[in-house]
Amino acid sequence: MDEWNDQADQGGQDGPVETVIEVRNLTKRFGSKLVLDNVSLAIEKGKTTVIIGPSGCGKTVLIKHFIALQRPSAGEVYFRDQRIDRLSEHDLDDIRTHFGYLFQEGALFDSLSVAENIMFPIRQHHRDVTRKAMEEVVKAKLAMVGLDGFQNYFPANLSGGQRKRVALARAVALNPEVILYDEPTTGLDPIRSDIINELVLKLEGDLNVTSVVVTHDMKSAYKVGDRIIMLHNGRIIADGDADQIRSHPHPTVQQFIHGQVSEDDLAVLRMSGVVAQSQFLPRDFEK
Amino acid sequence: MIATLGAKAIQDMINAGRLGRFAWRAITTSARSCARRQTFPLVWTQMNIIGVRSVPVVMITGAFVGMTLAVQAYDQLAGMGLEEHLGVLINISVVKELGPVLAAVMLAGRVGGALTAELGTMNVTEQIDAIRSMGTDPIRYLVAPRLLACLMLTPVLIIYADLMGVVGGALVSFLQLGINSRAYWNFSAYGVELWDVSIGVIKGFFFGGAIALISCYKGFTCKEGAHGVGQACTDAFVASFISILALDFALAVTFKSIYLTFWPLKSLVG
Repeated sequence: MDEWNDQADQGGQDGPVETVIEVRNLTKRFGSKLVLDNVSLAIEKGKTTVIIGPSGCGKTVLIKHFIALQRPSAGEVYFRDQRIDRLSEHDLDDIRTHFGYLFQEGALFDSLSVAENIMFPIRQHHRDVTRKAMEEVVKAKLAMVGLDGFQNYFPANLSGGQRKRVALARAVALNPEVILYDEPTTGLDPIRSDIINELVLKLEGDLNVTSVVVTHDMKSAYKVGDRIIMLHNGRIIADGDADQIRSHPHPTVQQFIHGQVSEDDLAVLRMSGVVAQSQFLPRDFEK
Repeated sequence: MIATLGAKAIQDMINAGRLGRFAWRAITTSARSCARRQTFPLVWTQMNIIGVRSVPVVMITGAFVGMTLAVQAYDQLAGMGLEEHLGVLINISVVKELGPVLAAVMLAGRVGGALTAELGTMNVTEQIDAIRSMGTDPIRYLVAPRLLACLMLTPVLIIYADLMGVVGGALVSFLQLGINSRAYWNFSAYGVELWDVSIGVIKGFFFGGAIALISCYKGFTCKEGAHGVGQACTDAFVASFISILALDFALAVTFKSIYLTFWPLKSLVG
């Protein structure tokens, strides 16, 4: 395993770069379950970093630490050289305005319209902005995600893809420096997924934001990622650009990027196949 | 067995500590929110949801409490020839005890359940995390307006329940039991003091606070899924109900001590 970790440490470290977010020796436990195991990672400014890995490997938990929505069991988290994992919620309020967070299911406020959802962060942090000015911002942000005209809709009346695009418009309402995307394409059809990918690229180009994308959609990872990191069992097992990941020697990385089932999983399936092959008939229950 | 009991006791203590910390944060944040102009529209909205929409159900509760008391107490008083004192018994029971407690229990079910379900759903769909991620304190945005609305409106709702309890009791006494209305009101005025009414209203302030804090806490800490939200609503109602009864007892003891201490001074002032 050390062989692969050595490679992981070497990837994406070509020269001195400006770091926006850094985690050092981050460990996170939920009860007795170890979710993140001594993870160290630096996110470079202006780049799109993609974190891949199987479901439940700790990707979402990791990016929630970037914005202190989760606190580490051990280790440190820095935003622009300021340690944030020990700050109070009150002190974090200002720091969090530098971030936009696209939640997996959008997390739009059900009771507010699309326009009010996007106005929410502006209202909270810019009390002197007029209603008209806010409406203009909402219009611009919705136009950016291709949903101008949906201002008066409620989240319940939107499709999954539309909800994610509105959530993205809300995440960028304060023009953040860093955008964290949690599974932005999950549950969307291929065309809607590609629209989201294009939006990620557009935001990187137009607003020069630093992006961190959590996904297990490899097509999306290759398309938007300047750097790809793979998490497995709470540890980083691969770190590099798309080409380095494609040719990475770690068997788990190859299985994941090609979507292949492992021999262990196959063995389990074969065992359950015994039950699956047995078609229960009424006579089986007669006795 | 002992280890299980010990673990359960420790967990209960931890949960009580968490509720205490949550309550302290909610109270201090609410106190600070009173000075923020941004809070007013949020409180106004919650006052409409929590207070105005609860008026009918609280009034119906109060009316039936008064009517039932009249029917139940009449025979015992009539047996002693004291049926004209029925008003004292009904009205003092309604304003001091049954009106506040039953109105609060009704609110724990109607308002507390809705608060827990709403905040619990927001919690499991990451809406509370979304508020935090945008640099806003969810306690200030979600809990403070609900707590302030409950603190302000539960006493008012109890006045409605008291009023309807008095009216309900009087109507049954006059129309069904045939008690002389003049004697009924005279004895009531003699037996029920402003102090008794005030106790019931002050209790409402504490009951409202307990309902809001417990319901919001259960919503904020509810577990994933529909089952988690449902369980949180059940837990919130049970905890609110027990808290209302415990607070009622503690306040009854406290107010009685205050009354006994200051009652002798009343003649000096009067």
